[in-house]
Amino acid sequence: MEDKKNCTGPLMIALQYNDLFDLDSISTSTDTDALPKGRAFTFMKAVQTVNERLVEQNKSDCLLFEVILISKECSEEIKTKIVESVKHYGLEIGKFFFCKKEELINTLQSNKVKLFLSTERDDVYEALHTGIPAALLYDQADDHVFNQLTVIFSGDVIGFSEDSLDGLSEFGFSETQIETIKTAKICMKEFAVLIGQMRRRFGQENSPLCTCVLTSWGSRNVCASALKTLREWGLDVDEAFCLAGAPCSPILAVVKPHILWDGGLLNMS
Amino acid sequence: MSSVSQLLIMNKPLMKEMHTFGEQETCKQSSPSKKPTPPKPQNAITIAVSSRALFNMDREQDIYEQQGMEDYLKYQIQHEIEPFAPGPAFPFIKAVEAVNTRLRELYPDSEELFDVVLMTSNHAHVGLRLINSINHYQLFIERFCMTGGNSLIGYLKAYHANLYLSADSMKVREAIEEGIAAATVFSPGKITEVPETQLRVAFDGDAVLFSDESERIYKAHGLDKFFEHEKAHENKPLDHGPLKGFLEALGKLQQKFYAKGQRLDCPIRTYLVTARSAASSGTRALKTLRSWGLETDEALFLAGAPKGPMLEKIRPHIFFDDQMFHVEGAAELGTVAAHVPYGIAQTVQSKTARDVKKDMPAKQLE
Repeated sequence: MEDKKNCTGPLMIALQYNDLFDLDSISTSTDTDALPKGRAFTFMKAVQTVNERLVEQNKSDCLLFEVILISKECSEEIKTKIVESVKHYGLEIGKFFFCKKEELINTLQSNKVKLFLSTERDDVYEALHTGIPAALLYDQADDHVFNQLTVIFSGDVIGFSEDSLDGLSEFGFSETQIETIKTAKICMKEFAVLIGQMRRRFGQENSPLCTCVLTSWGSRNVCASALKTLREWGLDVDEAFCLAGAPCSPILAVVKPHILWDGGLLNMS
Repeated sequence: MSSVSQLLIMNKPLMKEMHTFGEQETCKQSSPSKKPTPPKPQNAITIAVSSRALFNMDREQDIYEQQGMEDYLKYQIQHEIEPFAPGPAFPFIKAVEAVNTRLRELYPDSEELFDVVLMTSNHAHVGLRLINSINHYQLFIERFCMTGGNSLIGYLKAYHANLYLSADSMKVREAIEEGIAAATVFSPGKITEVPETQLRVAFDGDAVLFSDESERIYKAHGLDKFFEHEKAHENKPLDHGPLKGFLEALGKLQQKFYAKGQRLDCPIRTYLVTARSAASSGTRALKTLRSWGLETDEALFLAGAPKGPMLEKIRPHIFFDDQMFHVEGAAELGTVAAHVPYGIAQTVQSKTARDVKKDMPAKQLE
C-alpha cells in the first residue's frame, strides 16, 4: 500500500477546449446554452470512473487524475460558454487556462502537466519535441465504454534500442523526428510509472484502467523488449499487440483507446 | 547487433525494396540473413491460432481453474524462460511455414502466403513466455493479439482471418456464428509422425465444406430418404459450409505450385473424408466441388465406416469434422482432429467425458 506521505498525485492531464467541445456543430438554436459534446467526452467520463474507483478504495488517495482545460484564442463570449458548458455537463475540470496560441507550450510547461492530450498529431509532436509528455486523444467514434480508461503505449518507441532508433535515419526519418521519438520514450516512462502505481490499486479483473502496448513495426522481440522495459518501470500491461507492419487502424478500432502514445512510429495508414 | 537489426519493415516509399533485417543470431541461413516480411493481411491467407492450440498449457490451465487468475499469472511469470511444449496445432503450423518457404523460393515478391497470427485472450503478462516459446522453436510468428480477456472477434475480422484454431470451443462457436472459419483443436491420443515437407489437410464434407442441408434430411428422415434426396438433387450444388473458403485458399496456393511445374510434389495436399458413399450420395459432393471450381487431391467415401483408421493412413496435419464422434475417433488413432461446431449435428451431440471437460463453462484463457 502506498504511503500517504509519498503522495505523487495528482496526475494532471491537459485538454484543449476544441477537443472537449464540438465547435463545428454549434447550432444557432437557443434551446441549450451548452456547447455540443466533442471528442474528449468519453475520455472525461472514463477518467471520472477511474477517480471514483480510486477514491472508493482509499478515501485519501492523492494519485488521482486531474484534468485542466486550455483554450487558445477565445473570444470573451466563448470563454463564458466554455465555463458554463463544463458546469452544465458536470465535468470535473480542475483549472481553466485561456491563452494565446504561442503560449500553449509555456502554459503546459509551467503547470507541470503529466500529459497533454490532443487529437492533433502536430500539436502532440511539437509538445513532445520540447519535452512535454503528449499523446493522441484517440477519436472515439461513439459513446463507447465509460467504465474503463484505456491507455496504449508504443512498443516501437519503448522497445527499439538506442542504436536502432539512430538507424532510422536510413529509413528516411529526419533528425528532428528521431529526437522526438527519443524524447517520447522518456516522457512515456514518467507516465508509465504513475499509471503503473494506479494500475496496481486494482486487481487483474474488473479494473477501470486498462493498459496496452502496441508495436507497429518492430519484431516480436522488440515487443518483448517493450514489455520488459515497462515492467522495469513498474507497469505490467494487460494487453499486447504486435502488428509487424500491418496497419493499426483496424486494431485500434477494436481496442478503442482513449490515450494513444504515438512518438511518431505509429502506422496509421 | 546491427543498428537496424530490430526493424521489420518501414513503409516509406524509398524503402519498399528493403526487406527485413532479422536478428542475426536466430537466422540459420548462410546467405546474408534477411528474415522475410510478413505479408499484408488482405493478401495473405491468415491463420489465427490460440496459445493453447499452438502450445501445451494444460498445467497452467489447471492452475487457472483451481487457483484463479492471480496465481495463474504468477506461475506464468515465474516460468517465463521455460518454453511451452508443442500443442496440437504445432505440427500444422510448422508444415504451413514449410509451404511458405517453398512459395518464397518460387515467388520471392509475392504476398500470397500463409500468415500465422497468435490470437489469444491471455493477458500480456504471459506475453514474454509466449514470445520466448516462439523464439525457442524458431516459429515465424510476428503478429499477435493478447487481449487480456476481451473477445477476439473484432481482431479476427481486423486481420481478415481465413481460419481460427483454438482449444476453447466457446470461442470457436462464437467465431463460427460470426461467419469466421473456425475449429476446436483436440490433442491426439497418441503421437503420429506427420510429413514435414507436405502440408496435409483433411476435410469432412457435410457441414464443413458443404452446408448441413443434407445432414438435416438424414437426421429428420433417415438414411433411405437421404439417399433418395441426394440422388434426386445430384446436379444441384450444395450450399457452402464454413470451411469452403479455406479449401479455396489452399487451392489457390496449390495452383501457384502447379504453375511452376510442381504438381507431383506439391507441398500442399487436400483430402475429402466423408461418410457419403462413392456409389450414390458421393456424386453430389464431387459435383458440388466441381461447380465451385474446387477439388481435393483425394476423396475418400467411407459409406458410414469410422474415419479414424483411414486418417491414420493418410497422416494429415489436421482433420476438420462437424461431429464429435468422428473427431474423437480420429484423435484416438493419432490424428489431430478439429471440431467445426456448425449445423444440425451440434444439437444432437452425444457427449463423452472428454467432451464435457472441454466444453466446461469454466472460462479458458487462451
